[in-house]
Amino acid sequence: MTVIPNQTVRKVLRYLIPFVAIPALVLLGATVFDEQRYLILSLGVAVLAILLFIAGIEKKNIGSRRMVIVAVMTALAVVGRFIPVFKPITALCVMTGLYLGAEAGFLCGAMSVLISNIYFGQGPWTPFQMLGFGLIGLFAGYLSRPLLQSRVLLALYGVIAGIAYSFIMDIWTVLWYSGGFDAHLYLAAIVSALPYTALYAVSNVGYLLLLRKPMGEKLGRIKLKYGV
Amino acid sequence: MREFHDYNPVAVALYYLGVTGITMFTMNPVILGISLFASVLNYTLYAKGGIKPHLFSAVLFCVLALLNPLLNHNGATVLFYLNDRPITAEATVYGVCAAGMVTASLYWLRSFSKAMTSDKLLYLFGRLSPKLSLILSMSIRYVELLRVRWRKIQQTQKALGLYDDGNLIDALRGRARVLSILITWALENGIITAESMDARGYGSGRRTSFAMYKIRVSDGILMLLCAVLAAGAIIGVHAAEVSYYPTIHLQLTAPWSIAGYIGFAVLAGLPVMINTKEAIRWHYLISAG
Repeated sequence: MTVIPNQTVRKVLRYLIPFVAIPALVLLGATVFDEQRYLILSLGVAVLAILLFIAGIEKKNIGSRRMVIVAVMTALAVVGRFIPVFKPITALCVMTGLYLGAEAGFLCGAMSVLISNIYFGQGPWTPFQMLGFGLIGLFAGYLSRPLLQSRVLLALYGVIAGIAYSFIMDIWTVLWYSGGFDAHLYLAAIVSALPYTALYAVSNVGYLLLLRKPMGEKLGRIKLKYGV
Repeated sequence: MREFHDYNPVAVALYYLGVTGITMFTMNPVILGISLFASVLNYTLYAKGGIKPHLFSAVLFCVLALLNPLLNHNGATVLFYLNDRPITAEATVYGVCAAGMVTASLYWLRSFSKAMTSDKLLYLFGRLSPKLSLILSMSIRYVELLRVRWRKIQQTQKALGLYDDGNLIDALRGRARVLSILITWALENGIITAESMDARGYGSGRRTSFAMYKIRVSDGILMLLCAVLAAGAIIGVHAAEVSYYPTIHLQLTAPWSIAGYIGFAVLAGLPVMINTKEAIRWHYLISAG
């Protein structure tokens, strides 16, 4: 699954971004800009991180089949975002990561956010959400062995993913609203988002446990039948 | 009639990113005022009718404006005490400005979302990577396809007598069955699509997109104009002195700042001006014929 076809570009990006671009941005933020620029810096780092992941995706060059399956899972996640209150997007990204590998999980998470935000509104939050859901899918792929074996661990992963995602997005909300980081505002944001966070964690666990068997069977069957 | 959103997607995207960026990274009340006014005007002209988003924005504005003085007690001028916590004039003013910043940014981004339809998104990403744009284009297509298929499966299940809406558990069970069929169908069908695409040589050449946006002279002029105006606005913002704590200190009327405000006002009003110009031209073209 190679996303950026030119090998040199890929290589340059993979070394340039973590060793030059991100440190340079952070240094610039520490020395040149004042406090008000946290937001633009974090935005830059988020975009670079997404680029880095995309440049890193090259493990299995099987081609279109796996890509199309990822596209189908992404579309399901996008459609799932229209369901009111209980949203299966996390569960679907985790499923993709578990059965199709970490890279597929990352792509499913990042792309489903990018596409669903066509309907829900693009904004500076898009890169952060892409990174957030992408990482949820990515780690699910890396942890696939224990997560596939134990139902409890899978549920735990759903809870942790839900809470961590909300907490990290709230940091960003505070940065946007007040320029710098303010512990009181952050606390207020977390407390006011608490019902949503709880709902989110619950729906993650619910969907993960519900989808685990049927979705696993379907994806496993496709893998076996077509050698994806 | 070439409206603002019909310009090259690169130009339109850069325009919205620039305007939103300037709005988001300043606390200058003049810039924020202009931005809020222009963004509301711009959005209202594109999204005809519908008061709901405006209502939401108004509520959001009030909540955000009130949030800061209630939680942030910096500032030298105490207005009154609430539960032994000082409510300061500085925090109140800052809250109103921050609320204006967030509301204006949201309005700009709403217009941006209206402008960036899926074909334009594909045009922008397709050049970055063919595989990525494959996922994008297929997913965008599948979203609609899945909805249509969901309806088809549901109707078939109903006709077979397998779908009961009256009882909650049966309804859920029926829905789960429809979902299961939908996913299996989509996955199988996806593989066939992939085979067919491979057989026809997908990915062997450069990807073209459905809509062919050429960079015309007018796009170049637009981008150049935006760059100059944005640069002017940024210089203007830097020439002004704005700080809210511990006391409000505003030095807004330096000559460079005023030039910057005018530049930003023109920049923010650009879509409306272009559309009005085109509408007038269209009107006269029709009446001439």
